[in-house]
Amino acid sequence: MEITISKFDLLKELTATQGVVERKTTIPILSNFLFEAADGVLTITATDLDLSLRTSCDAIVKKDGSCTIPARKLYDYVKLLGDGDISIKLLENHWVQIRAGRSNTKMVGMARSNFPSVPTFPATGAVKIPAAVLKMLISKTIFAISNEESRYTLNGALMVLKPESITMVATDGHRLAHIVKEGASFDVSGEMKTLVPKKAMAELSSLLNNADIEFVEFAKDESTLFFRIGSRLLTSRQLTGQFPNYEAVLPKENTRIVPVRCADLQAAIQRVAQFADERSGAIRIRLEKNEMKISSSSTETGESEDSIETENTGEPMTIGFNSAYLLDFLKAAETEGVRLEFKDAQSAGQMRPEGDEEYKYRYVVMPMRI
Amino acid sequence: MERTYFHVDMDAFFVSVEELYDPSLKGKPVVVGGKPNERGVVAAASYAARKFGVHSAMPLRTAAKMCPQAVFVEGHPERYREYSGRVHTVLEKFSPLVEMASIDEAYLDMTGTERLHGPALRAAHLLHETMKRETNLNCSIGIAGARVVAKICSDQAKPNGVLWIVPGAEAAFLAPLEIRRMPGVGKVTEQKLQEMGIRLVGELAKWDVEKVREELGEWAATLAEKARGTDAGGWYDTAIGENSDAKSISHEHTFSRDEGDTQALESMLARLSEMVCRRLREQKLHARKIELKLRFADFTTITRGRTVEHPTQLDTEVFGIVRELFRANRKAGSMIRLLGVKVASFEDAPAEQLALLDAGRDDRMRTALTTMDKLRDKFGENAVSLATGMKARFREKTHDNPAALPGKKKSRESRDSGHKK
Repeated sequence: MEITISKFDLLKELTATQGVVERKTTIPILSNFLFEAADGVLTITATDLDLSLRTSCDAIVKKDGSCTIPARKLYDYVKLLGDGDISIKLLENHWVQIRAGRSNTKMVGMARSNFPSVPTFPATGAVKIPAAVLKMLISKTIFAISNEESRYTLNGALMVLKPESITMVATDGHRLAHIVKEGASFDVSGEMKTLVPKKAMAELSSLLNNADIEFVEFAKDESTLFFRIGSRLLTSRQLTGQFPNYEAVLPKENTRIVPVRCADLQAAIQRVAQFADERSGAIRIRLEKNEMKISSSSTETGESEDSIETENTGEPMTIGFNSAYLLDFLKAAETEGVRLEFKDAQSAGQMRPEGDEEYKYRYVVMPMRI
Repeated sequence: MERTYFHVDMDAFFVSVEELYDPSLKGKPVVVGGKPNERGVVAAASYAARKFGVHSAMPLRTAAKMCPQAVFVEGHPERYREYSGRVHTVLEKFSPLVEMASIDEAYLDMTGTERLHGPALRAAHLLHETMKRETNLNCSIGIAGARVVAKICSDQAKPNGVLWIVPGAEAAFLAPLEIRRMPGVGKVTEQKLQEMGIRLVGELAKWDVEKVREELGEWAATLAEKARGTDAGGWYDTAIGENSDAKSISHEHTFSRDEGDTQALESMLARLSEMVCRRLREQKLHARKIELKLRFADFTTITRGRTVEHPTQLDTEVFGIVRELFRANRKAGSMIRLLGVKVASFEDAPAEQLALLDAGRDDRMRTALTTMDKLRDKFGENAVSLATGMKARFREKTHDNPAALPGKKKSRESRDSGHKK
């Protein structure tokens, strides 16, 4: 293999693939990139066995072929090279020569045959999802995904595709984020449900941030999910198992509705949370006449209270929450106003952004017993 | 201010408790810990058995060879825990500052109790009498201005005696003793010191603390300080009553024959998880860290742990995690010698986050477990268990969990549940 490529193009692709390279070195080949050159195109592949990413760019291919190169080292080295062309050439015994201007480096790769095979995009059944919609859905739900490995089916978000809508739901067993985009059109018959692992969502989100494309092509086979983002293909191992029946826990009788300004509530909670018990982050919300009081206390740091003016009638009520759960939502909401909807101190509270017509977004959070 | 410490050490505690249940054992060579042909070690030996050279931590089979006529009895940890609780209750009548150092010994800070109990020797006499009256057990009492000296005294005072070292006489008392009498000097340290030509505590006391700290390290400096009769290092660095919280709770089980059957192993893990969680509930603690210990037939030992987001004290939750760790780390078909379950990173009662999915499940489980605890209090530890753990009922070996309760001081809650009124 022998190619010449501009530093700018190469670095762009290397940056995109960094997230997928395995950091641990238990399987050395996984910390390598696979380089394949043919027909004027360089294809770079990285995988950690859960995820894989294939990306390609134009290059001058003097000799077809392939090789593997230590990913992190190559990335760090290319960043330090001056602008201009870089030539990459496979030598004997998996050595790879990298030359640019007056710089000359040889790196030791591994046999190409050791590199795991990466799934290929299915020939049929791809669904086009608007990139902006997918990005939105991920950013509104990813934070609610469980980090506890033991809760296997909660380690991802559920994506539900219907002919006229797309839904994404994530929960960690204590709170749940749910977002629907209606009035769209998808090439599916009936309902297509997919559990998307958190790691794939994070990678997808960063790829979408750096791509100027309109649609993502999505497909799946028995074991793998595929997302094509322009010239890049992200694959992810599927999460198997049953996502919990989330529809049953969506509140239906939350009739105490409190509208507040998102920024006010966020600031108040941030202040008060400084004095919450450090581990649990518990704060109290007390609804009084035309006022909402947010308070906390801990034996170590003291106590704190903030109050927000709001329309509120009905009996006073106190309910406890994990402040971090509320802040997660307020940070993601991105609207001026939110509505808090309560039933009582033992039942799930619901939060919804006000004034967003395009998406139906709701966040359900269980209280704390305090 | 000059302080007065008591070190109270129960005489042949496990054996004495067994004698209360079976008076025919009195005076005989008795070995507590298990059957003479079993794996495991001696938890305690009566004075009559000690004459034959039997001592605690010796393999049972060795003990049987040295003293074939000995009566071997299974240990009854629940009995020892109960009596340990009673002992603690007696001790608390003498000082508010009591620190159980293990199941059968305690340090008391008696400073300033003269008006109440009279001079030290009179207080010790009273303590002896009260202990005998309330628990029917003998103890030995060491009295000194430092805990390390008091501990050595109680050892010298055995059985059923009192030894008081008047302030100022500590060094003279310690100097002629063999170094192995010092708390913290085990076989390894003893040998190391002997190689340096040190046999007596007095020789240690001549060490320049700062110099040996530099040359030999912290352990040596600590020893030198102790040899002069000063409380130093580990246990003695904190005052009595300070830092009394348990750091971890664990239960382990050594199989009498190496076990390879997955179901039997998981069943044992369920049982161990139950035992650990029962103690958590007794002490009203919630654990954030859960750890599995695996010892394979070839003695290689691994521990694997996980930190949970919401601290727990529920058997099912701990077992679920331990089983997962077990499945991930046991090589298929491998034979297991020992299993252990440990929990740590305690929190009192955290503000409880309610669950969105399976709402109420934890509450139901908590109610069920509390009921199980009550049944066990009344009918014994094996009265009820998780179905998975049923196959793994075993007689808790005394040496597997020598100290009833971890940490420096028993909490009030756990003591109360030890013997219900």
